[in-house]
Amino acid sequence: MRKFVSLGITRGVLGGAAGTGAGVGITMLIRLALGLPAWNSGPVWAAGILAGVVGYLAALGLFNYWICWFFGAAETEEQPPESRSWTRYLNVSTNHKVIGVQYLATALVFLPFAVILQLVARTDMSKLSAAFLSTEAYTSIISDHGIVMLFIVAIPAFAGLMNYFVPLQIGARDMAFPRLNALSFWLVPAAGLLMVSALFAGGFDTGWTIYPPLSTSYQPLGMNLVLIGAYLAGFSSILSAVNILATVLKLRAPGMGLFRMPLFSWTAIATTILSLLFTQFVAMALLFVLLERLTGMGFYNPAAGGQVLLYQYMFWFYSHPATYIFALPGLGIISEVIPVFARKPLFGYKGVAVSSLGIAIGGTLVFGHHMFAAGMPALLRIPFMITTMLVAVPTGVKVFAWLATAWGGKLRLKPPLLFAFSAIILFLIGGLTGVIQAVVPADLYVHDTYWIVAHFHSVLFGGFLFPLMAGIYYWFPKMSGHMLQDKLGKIQWGLMTAGSALLILPMFALGLEGMRRRVADYDPTPGFQSMHLTTAIGGFLIFFGLVILFYNILRSLRRGALAGNDPWEGKTLEWQVSSPPPAENFLRAPLVVGPPYDYGVTGSVHAVFPDKAGQAQGSAEN
Amino acid sequence: MEVSAVQEKPRASPMFAGMAIFLASEAFLFGSLFFTYYYLRINNPVWPPAGVHLDIGLAVLSTFILLSSSGAIWLATRLIRRGSITGLAATLLATTLLGSSFLGITIWEWTHETFSPWASAYGSIFYTMTGFHALHVLGGVLLMMALLIRTRRGRFSPCNYLAVEVGALYWHYVDFIWLLVFTTLFIIK
Repeated sequence: MRKFVSLGITRGVLGGAAGTGAGVGITMLIRLALGLPAWNSGPVWAAGILAGVVGYLAALGLFNYWICWFFGAAETEEQPPESRSWTRYLNVSTNHKVIGVQYLATALVFLPFAVILQLVARTDMSKLSAAFLSTEAYTSIISDHGIVMLFIVAIPAFAGLMNYFVPLQIGARDMAFPRLNALSFWLVPAAGLLMVSALFAGGFDTGWTIYPPLSTSYQPLGMNLVLIGAYLAGFSSILSAVNILATVLKLRAPGMGLFRMPLFSWTAIATTILSLLFTQFVAMALLFVLLERLTGMGFYNPAAGGQVLLYQYMFWFYSHPATYIFALPGLGIISEVIPVFARKPLFGYKGVAVSSLGIAIGGTLVFGHHMFAAGMPALLRIPFMITTMLVAVPTGVKVFAWLATAWGGKLRLKPPLLFAFSAIILFLIGGLTGVIQAVVPADLYVHDTYWIVAHFHSVLFGGFLFPLMAGIYYWFPKMSGHMLQDKLGKIQWGLMTAGSALLILPMFALGLEGMRRRVADYDPTPGFQSMHLTTAIGGFLIFFGLVILFYNILRSLRRGALAGNDPWEGKTLEWQVSSPPPAENFLRAPLVVGPPYDYGVTGSVHAVFPDKAGQAQGSAEN
Repeated sequence: MEVSAVQEKPRASPMFAGMAIFLASEAFLFGSLFFTYYYLRINNPVWPPAGVHLDIGLAVLSTFILLSSSGAIWLATRLIRRGSITGLAATLLATTLLGSSFLGITIWEWTHETFSPWASAYGSIFYTMTGFHALHVLGGVLLMMALLIRTRRGRFSPCNYLAVEVGALYWHYVDFIWLLVFTTLFIIK
């Protein structure tokens, strides 16, 4: 019992509850003192939740160091010694590897939750029985599916992999700001909890995009919870971007020039530049909605001189680049996996590296294509159409480089490579349909239909879900020291690939036939029902695939074969240390002497580990 | 382990880079506020709405206060490099006091404005923009107080003053943002 209470997460929950109680009480007292009625669920809960978040972070001890620093304590880089027990994942840790696992585990807890939400909605839409979801319940469920997937699954999952592997790949001991790193992580579970509880507090039926005026006039408390949750998640993502960028720019090992860096770290740069800058815009747009709901301010209220369209500009200015925040690390994983399993140097390394920045920069100039149908000035349509089509170019560079790498290689069809290949195909479907709907008249036709849903899901399956699976199968041996089972991985790959096709392809057809998104009912006559049913079946197949993944992970933790340092014969630095890596990552500082992907090139060495006398110890030759 | 006593080039440290990166992000935070202001301004025939009278004299005073505080913190970084701990303490104290008086003026202004944040979109963005800036000044004042306490506890020396450099970078930045806020709200309107 005492051990349970001393766990960080328990203290955090208790602190959060105490903070919420105190916040609610104090706000009610202030309201009484101002002569207002004590209870008004909107502002009182909002203040309570903010106090609760502060209480939760304080009880976790995340502010201790900074408070001591404020009062003049000596600066220290020393961290308390790590326990090796699994409970360290439930405590605050400043070790980037622990935080990476914490991020990943959080994402993998919320992933099945968000999938199940959508399975409920898909089952309802397949009309095998009478509809069991009310319109409000249906829209709340799909809205929550979207926002949890994006803010609590996609961003944290890749934040986890970046946290774990960027310092290892660039030869750093830890992140630049380990304490800030812990703070960024612990905001995520709080945000996730708020977004889940929104479902039980009246839901929110605006879709994940939270457009006003519906979001400013929709009454239930759930809307506020989602707004606060998204704000916290955004805050976490900005802080973690500061950290990762400073790490990559300042803490690279000697010899690790930018063009010797593994591509996952390259995509980390591009991703974090985007989330560092653009998250501010969506955070502000959401804050305006919250302020308008709580205090009656008038940013989006035409009666007060506000502008509804203002929200869409600010929202998409972030949310289009955000698509690349979700996808770029995934493209980085594909670039890591293919050379290792094709046993060939990556084709066009520099082009692939720079294309990440190209996608990032191009991706910021296209956001207007989300608003072709929204009444934006017609003058802006054509430039946005052209920039949107141009973004396909750097993405195409990557796809061709991957194909050229795999071409003629000695392919080892292990799960990471299989997932990477499926990811390329799905991403290609998403990318090509993206070019189609970039054309203004085509977009006006398919806007807000299932076509868009299908496009977006194929982009995210190809850019996020499948690369994440490739990354898990590729790096799990490094993180745990145990191999995942190949056979289960291949079954999972088969289920998820088939499931994706069944899920996505009928939705393209539905959209072209005119099926609107976010609508809880439809006329079954034009054959829509069978397509909705196929989509639902695809969703279930993907879910079964995830169940196999979880079984495989648990099985491997108990009795998986030992991985050794370098089970895939990789050359990048993370494969030159033990599995799992030692607390300080590198027992001897690495010296980088060559390119990272020279598979099959005799005599090419990526890094050496000189001992104290300066004697070079060669890394494993592949 | 004490952080290495000799930091020959504070501006090359990850901490300085981290602050610069963070401030790049802050540029987008204020950018979103300026975008909102000008977007609303373009789309409203009457701007600012009737009944809005701004006290430009007070805003000019605020501007002078912040500019002189930037001078004070600049002096602080010069003095510590020459080894003057008392000079550092005095300039940090001056920065703290100037920043606090800026906050005092903001609060006085807020309570004496002729318009509320609720009545119009103009009021909403006016208070949000000045509020976000004031929050950043508040953060800066707290940082200056921390630096002052650390100076008194003997944490700084001519070869170890990284936190002063980082704090000065932040402070200059927030002052620069004020110039943009001032220009937008009081000059261009």
